[in-house]
Amino acid sequence: MEAFAQSIEGGIVYTWVTSIFWLWPLMETLHFIGLSLLLGGLIIIDTRMAGFFRGLNITATHKLLPWVFVGFGINLTTGVLFFFGDPMRYAVNWGFRVKMVLVVIAGLNALWFWVRLNKPMHSWEPHGDTPGEAKLVAWISLVAWTGVLLFGRLIPYVGTG
Amino acid sequence: MFEWLENTSVALWVGESLWAYPFMLSFHVIGLAIVVGILSMVDFKLLGGFKGIRVGSFLPLVKFAWIGFLINAVSGVFLFTSQATYFVSSTVFLTKLGCIFVGAILTKVMQGKLVAAEAAGTADNVSMKSLAVISLLLWLLAITAGRLTAYI
Repeated sequence: MEAFAQSIEGGIVYTWVTSIFWLWPLMETLHFIGLSLLLGGLIIIDTRMAGFFRGLNITATHKLLPWVFVGFGINLTTGVLFFFGDPMRYAVNWGFRVKMVLVVIAGLNALWFWVRLNKPMHSWEPHGDTPGEAKLVAWISLVAWTGVLLFGRLIPYVGTG
Repeated sequence: MFEWLENTSVALWVGESLWAYPFMLSFHVIGLAIVVGILSMVDFKLLGGFKGIRVGSFLPLVKFAWIGFLINAVSGVFLFTSQATYFVSSTVFLTKLGCIFVGAILTKVMQGKLVAAEAAGTADNVSMKSLAVISLLLWLLAITAGRLTAYI
């Protein structure tokens, strides 16, 4: 990753991001708005899938998913630009590394839901309890994303290496 | 008064401990996700989104959003103490605080209207589009001003 980071430094994107002084605070603000949309949708979907808030129709909660993807899209875009704007700092930062591992875990967990649970979900009782496997996927998602927030916020404070 | 606050043992702990400040910030962003995340989804619902989900079924989630609000009030006070004199003289910080104050009152008002409508069985016909837009704008501005306190 450090070799990759070195190859970015001085490149076109790096120069662009670092040359506009208001771009970094603007992207941070967008990153926070993105996380609110991403987490907002997921907290509702996952807590329902964990068996809480049974007044919500479980299948209908997935109508919130477009907002989750919008939030993820905003944060992937701004996140990549952060990395390109200060590659050597992120490449050696363990807060960033743990955050990225957790994002991958959350992604694989979403894939697990898609492959194993998305179809069966439609036959579950809309306002009832959920199967154990669904609860597990829901809790992994909630814990992984909370960890993403935690380690993301620690990036400016943790050691480099 | 704010100088006194900055020199209390709590403020010094937050400011000087290696981990207190970053961990308070982490709690603050988790609380933010709970509050703005849930309330923005409720606002989108009130603006006509998510067909098939009853408005009233969001009400328990609004209660949960208040837990996020509590997390941020507590972590926010800790963060505030460590740089109290700076924060009270910062326009962006005061803007953020104003938005949160008005946003909290608005949330309480909207929650009250929804609870009443739900009890009357009319929650799905309730019309609060302008309040929902104001709510979204307040949280948007609170986040923007909050982020900018680190820069201005």
